Amino acid sequence: MTALQDQTVYRGLWAVLVQYFRVPQDPPEIPGGGRDNTSPFKPAQAFLGYLKFWFWMLMAIIDIGVLVGWIAIMIADWRIGLAVLPIVVIVLIAPTIVAYIALQLRFDTTWYIMTDRALRIRRGVWIIDERTITYENIQNVKVTQGPVQRHFKIATVVVETAGAGSAGGKQRAAAANQGALEGVTNASEIRDRILLKMRESGSTGLGDELSLQQQRGRAASWSPAQFDLLREIHKELAAIA
Amino acid sequence: MNSIQSFDPAATTRPDDSLLSYYILVAAMTLIGFPFVVLPLYFKFRTLSFRFDDKGVSMSWGILFKREIYLTYRRIQDIHVTRNLFHRWFGLASVSIQTASGSAGAEMTIEGIRNPEALRDYLYAQMRGAQDDALEAIAESSPNEAQTAGDIATQLLRDVLDEVKRLRVMLEQRS
Repeated sequence: MTALQDQTVYRGLWAVLVQYFRVPQDPPEIPGGGRDNTSPFKPAQAFLGYLKFWFWMLMAIIDIGVLVGWIAIMIADWRIGLAVLPIVVIVLIAPTIVAYIALQLRFDTTWYIMTDRALRIRRGVWIIDERTITYENIQNVKVTQGPVQRHFKIATVVVETAGAGSAGGKQRAAAANQGALEGVTNASEIRDRILLKMRESGSTGLGDELSLQQQRGRAASWSPAQFDLLREIHKELAAIA
Repeated sequence: MNSIQSFDPAATTRPDDSLLSYYILVAAMTLIGFPFVVLPLYFKFRTLSFRFDDKGVSMSWGILFKREIYLTYRRIQDIHVTRNLFHRWFGLASVSIQTASGSAGAEMTIEGIRNPEALRDYLYAQMRGAQDDALEAIAESSPNEAQTAGDIATQLLRDVLDEVKRLRVMLEQRS
C-alpha cells in the first residue's frame, strides 16, 4: 500500500502541492501541549484500504454500467461502437487513476493530534480544515464501526461539542460541531481517554464559570454565615460562663 | 512558512490588505456576477474592524446594514481554521469560532488576518480547558483567601472549645 507513496510521480505531485498550492507538509501542533502523548498521529494504514474498498465498489458499478452501454452501442451499430471506443477507455481508466491518487492524498493530509487538554484534526487537500476542541467542551463521544470497517479493524471516534451543528449533522465529519477521528485502530482507547478527561473536568462545557466557584468551595468550605453562627455560639457560651 | 510570530491582539483592528485581493479574486470566479459580488465584498472589507480585548473579541462591518458581533473567549466551543487554495496563496485563512448559541453556522468568522495560526493559538490559549484557569484565577485574585478563611474558622472553633471547657469545669465545681 505504501508503494504509491514512494513513486516518483506521486512524490512530484506532492512537491507541486506543497510548493504551489501551499499544502502544509508538517503535522499540526498545539502550543503548550502538556506532558503526555502530544505526538500527532494519522489514521491507520488499514483506513487507506477501507477507502479503496469503497472506491473499487463504486468504480465496479460505474464500469459495468459503461461497458453494458458500450456493448449495446456495438450491437446496434459496430462502426459507432468502434468510434466511441477511445472515449469509453478514457472514461474507464482516467477516473480510476485520479481517484486513486486522491485517496492517497486524502490519507496523507489527514492528521490528528491529542494533548492532555485538547485535540486537533486536520483534513483536506484543496480546502484544508483544522478544528480544535478542548476536552472541557466535549459533550459526548461516539464510536461508530460498520461491517466493512470491522473487517479492516478500524473505527471512527466522533466527539461533539455544544457548538453550532448545521442541518447536515448526519454527515460524518461534516457537522461543524463535530470532530471525527476516522480510521483509528485504538478507538476504545481514545474514547476512554477523552471520557476520563470529561469526568475530571466536572463542568457542563458550556462556557460556565462554575468551575471557579467549585474550586473556591473546595478550598474554603466555611461561608460568612457560618462564621457569624460560630461567633454567636462563642458569645452565648461566654455569657453562660 | 513555519515562522509563527506571536499574535498581537491590541494592534489587530483592521484586516490585512490582501483580503481585498482575495475578495476580488473570489468575485472574479463568478465571471458575469463580478460587479454584484465584488461591491458588497468591497464594502465589507472597507468597514470590517476587529477589537480583541482581554475577555472577548468583537467584529463589525456593514454600511447599510451594520453588524457587530461580540463573544467572550470563555464561551468558545471550537475553533475551525479553513484555508482554501486562494487563502493559502495570500497567506490568509478563515477562522470560524463557534459558541453554544445554537445557530446553524459559526458565530463569528474572522477573515483577513495574516498569520492565522497565531490568531488561532491566541484564541485557543484563552479558551476554556486550555489552561488550569480556575486555580490560576484564585491564585491571582486572592492568594491567601482560602488559607485565611480556614484560619479564622479554626481559631473560632478553638475559642468555642475553650469556653465549653471552662463551662464544664465551673459546672463540675458547683455540683
